[in-house]
Amino acid sequence: MKNLLRIALSLLVIGVALSAVTLSAYAQDDPRRPVTDDEVNAVSKKLYCPVCENITLDTCGTLACAQWREEVRLLLSEGNTPEQVIENFVARFGDRVVGTPVDPTLRALSLVTPWLLSGLVLLGTAIIFLRWRKEGGAPTPKASAAQPSASASVRSLETYRARIEADLAARR
Amino acid sequence: MLAELGFIATFLAFLAALYAAGMAFYSVRVRDDRLLLSARNAALATFPLLTISLGALLVALLSEQYQIAYVWNVTDPNTPTFFRLTALWGAQAGSLLFWSGIMSAFAFGALLLNWQGQRRLMPYVILYTMLTLAFFLSLSLFFENPFERYWIMPDNSVVKSVFALGGAVPPASVRLAETANGLNPLLRHFGMIVHPPLLYMGFVGFIIPFAFAMAALASGDLSTNWLKATRRWTLLAWVSLSLGLVLGGRWAYDVLGWGGWWGWDPVENAAFLPWLLGTAFLHSVIIQEKRGMFKVWNMFLMLGTFSAVIFGTFATRSGLVDSVHSFARSQIGFPLFFFWFGMTSVSVGLLLWRWRRGELRDERRLNGWLSRESLFVLNNIVFVMLFIAIFWGSFGAPIFSELVMGTTITLGKDYFLQVTPPLFLALFVLMGVAPLSAWGVTSLRRLGKALIVPTVLAALIVGLLALTQPAEPLALLIYGVIALSGTVALWETVRGAAARHRSLGEGWYTAFTALVARNRRRYGGYLIHLSIAILGIGALGSELYQQETQRTLAVGQSLELGGYVMRYDGFLGGQVAEDGRIMDIAQVTVLRDGREIAQLRPRRDFYPNAQGMNTMTIPSAHSTLENDFYVLLVDWETISARSATFKVFINPLINLIWWGALLLVIGTIIGMYPEDRPALATAKAAQPSQLAGAKA
Repeated sequence: MKNLLRIALSLLVIGVALSAVTLSAYAQDDPRRPVTDDEVNAVSKKLYCPVCENITLDTCGTLACAQWREEVRLLLSEGNTPEQVIENFVARFGDRVVGTPVDPTLRALSLVTPWLLSGLVLLGTAIIFLRWRKEGGAPTPKASAAQPSASASVRSLETYRARIEADLAARR
Repeated sequence: MLAELGFIATFLAFLAALYAAGMAFYSVRVRDDRLLLSARNAALATFPLLTISLGALLVALLSEQYQIAYVWNVTDPNTPTFFRLTALWGAQAGSLLFWSGIMSAFAFGALLLNWQGQRRLMPYVILYTMLTLAFFLSLSLFFENPFERYWIMPDNSVVKSVFALGGAVPPASVRLAETANGLNPLLRHFGMIVHPPLLYMGFVGFIIPFAFAMAALASGDLSTNWLKATRRWTLLAWVSLSLGLVLGGRWAYDVLGWGGWWGWDPVENAAFLPWLLGTAFLHSVIIQEKRGMFKVWNMFLMLGTFSAVIFGTFATRSGLVDSVHSFARSQIGFPLFFFWFGMTSVSVGLLLWRWRRGELRDERRLNGWLSRESLFVLNNIVFVMLFIAIFWGSFGAPIFSELVMGTTITLGKDYFLQVTPPLFLALFVLMGVAPLSAWGVTSLRRLGKALIVPTVLAALIVGLLALTQPAEPLALLIYGVIALSGTVALWETVRGAAARHRSLGEGWYTAFTALVARNRRRYGGYLIHLSIAILGIGALGSELYQQETQRTLAVGQSLELGGYVMRYDGFLGGQVAEDGRIMDIAQVTVLRDGREIAQLRPRRDFYPNAQGMNTMTIPSAHSTLENDFYVLLVDWETISARSATFKVFINPLINLIWWGALLLVIGTIIGMYPEDRPALATAKAAQPSQLAGAKA
């Protein structure tokens, strides 16, 4: 009986030791770590809801978005960096889920075009003004801040009146 | 009865608008003043007619006439009276009719107030305003009719029609009341009484300066008459749009539950685009009045502003780009697109025609790059660059990539925060410098000297911000640039009052009021600059230094953020409000330095009868000038509610945005206030004669 008890105790000790080793090994292999809500939100803020367009994932109230947020948490807990999580979403849902496309062509198109267009506006304005200065309006008398020219509107009114008179004369 | 009355009044207004447009055009062809008067009377009649239509719809909403499909769609028996009023613009059909009503009111006012002074322009003003009104009324009559009623046909199918069809019977009132939709929960906010009307006034109000600009092009009166006639109309539209935008931000802050006020949503941007061009116009127009320059440019800006209004309307109401605002998708996309395209093409054609004839030649040229007019040109260019960047991000890139590359993309906050900040900064620099430069020629030395005191004042403000707010050197520099744009305006006003105080011996108060009264436009403008600077500091602070955290707390537990402590005290679940919504409320206490400073109740509202989005996360905030402590209830333990999850934000300086908006209104009122009577009399005497060539 004593031997039986000794054997049982030994088996228990071996069992506990083995399970501890197994659990320890499992714990070392399991890369998952606790992820805070703030970490999830920091990534979700950069992702747009794939269903409700133009709403970021951290603020979208739909069930689908809640599930996607949990997916973000899972991916982060598995050791993915925020960039990798974003790439994962882009790979599955396309560039619509990020605020600026990841695809290099689309990204360049998005970010460079407004500056190109603005450059064209600047160029166009410069050309117009250079041409305009070359052709010239009436030369400007020097004016100070205290004496803004009030004659411009009067002059244009006179021109307008002269044109009305000419129109009327032509119709008589 | 109400449906028939509303429909008939709308139809008559449509006919009156068409008649007015046609008769106004014909009166110019045959040069008959009596026909023009007839056109004017028809145009004036549209306003009372549409008041009747809107009145009929309003009475139907208030008296719960659920047989009318619109009433059934936007209210239910639990809807409070306040939201029955706002339901008038709570969905597509009602908001379109309301839009037309505001447009007719603007046309009515412009025709009455400008009739004597601008008779030569009037036929074309009537033509443009009434054609636009007729178009929008046609949408109400043929696509989005708010007076359609439900009918049950003999085969038990349900149809919508204004008038009873053969054999049709109305559905039972009780059944209709039981199944009514109720107002979209997003729109159940106090701000809804003012935000949409102001935004519509802003949009629609630009019809008046636009119509005058086109009238000037069509009539050949290319003097500054059209500018003088429309200055106050433009300011009214501009301030309405500005307030509409800010109140929209406030609504988003209070209702959407994401802790911010501007999300760069395509529909927000659609309203911001005309504001940018309209603001450029308000500056540029001063140069034409003072120096006779930029005639083509001013026409172009006004044309662009109104074109942006119509495009924004098209984008919002057609669902072209999805957003939380695109609640009102329907069949009106194509008609709106064709109207926008046609109107813009005709206007551009008219402008090019006058330009090529050499009738829009400027009378002066730019002399120095530091002159006020040159800086105004730069200001205009920056506004246009901002317009391009925001248009591209909101509409251009998503449409282009989908149509040409077959890829759907979203350009969100990331894009806008990369592209727009340098442009906004440039605008603030110009706001600071331009008021100090002189017309014609200004030297760098003179400009530098004038900047000394405002720079010192701006440095003091930056010092104050550095002491009270978290900030890095670059942010402090940007705060400084923004502050400078305000201190320049402030200092120029103080300097003017001081000059009167010294030279005339007036008391400070008298000197200040007399100074403003003598040039309301200038000092109203300065106050607007000051308000924009305040608004800019608020926007920058809340954007750059917003802090947030999300935690799950058990009852009695606390979290800390930015020097505040928030304790979760308890939970009130399943509270039923008068309007039928079910509220789950968390009770929290906010402490600072160990002292209780506020009890907040963030909550989640559930609307059992609403279709689609039926849950709203309503924040609760403790507001000070320094910051907002803003709490959202994210989740809670459903059975015991012993723990709840909160998202907490600290939004620095955000209240400056709302205070800035208030100052902006005051500044605009000062700027719009009529000058002294003698000046008016002189201006009237200088107006051209009545309709040229008209038969008496």
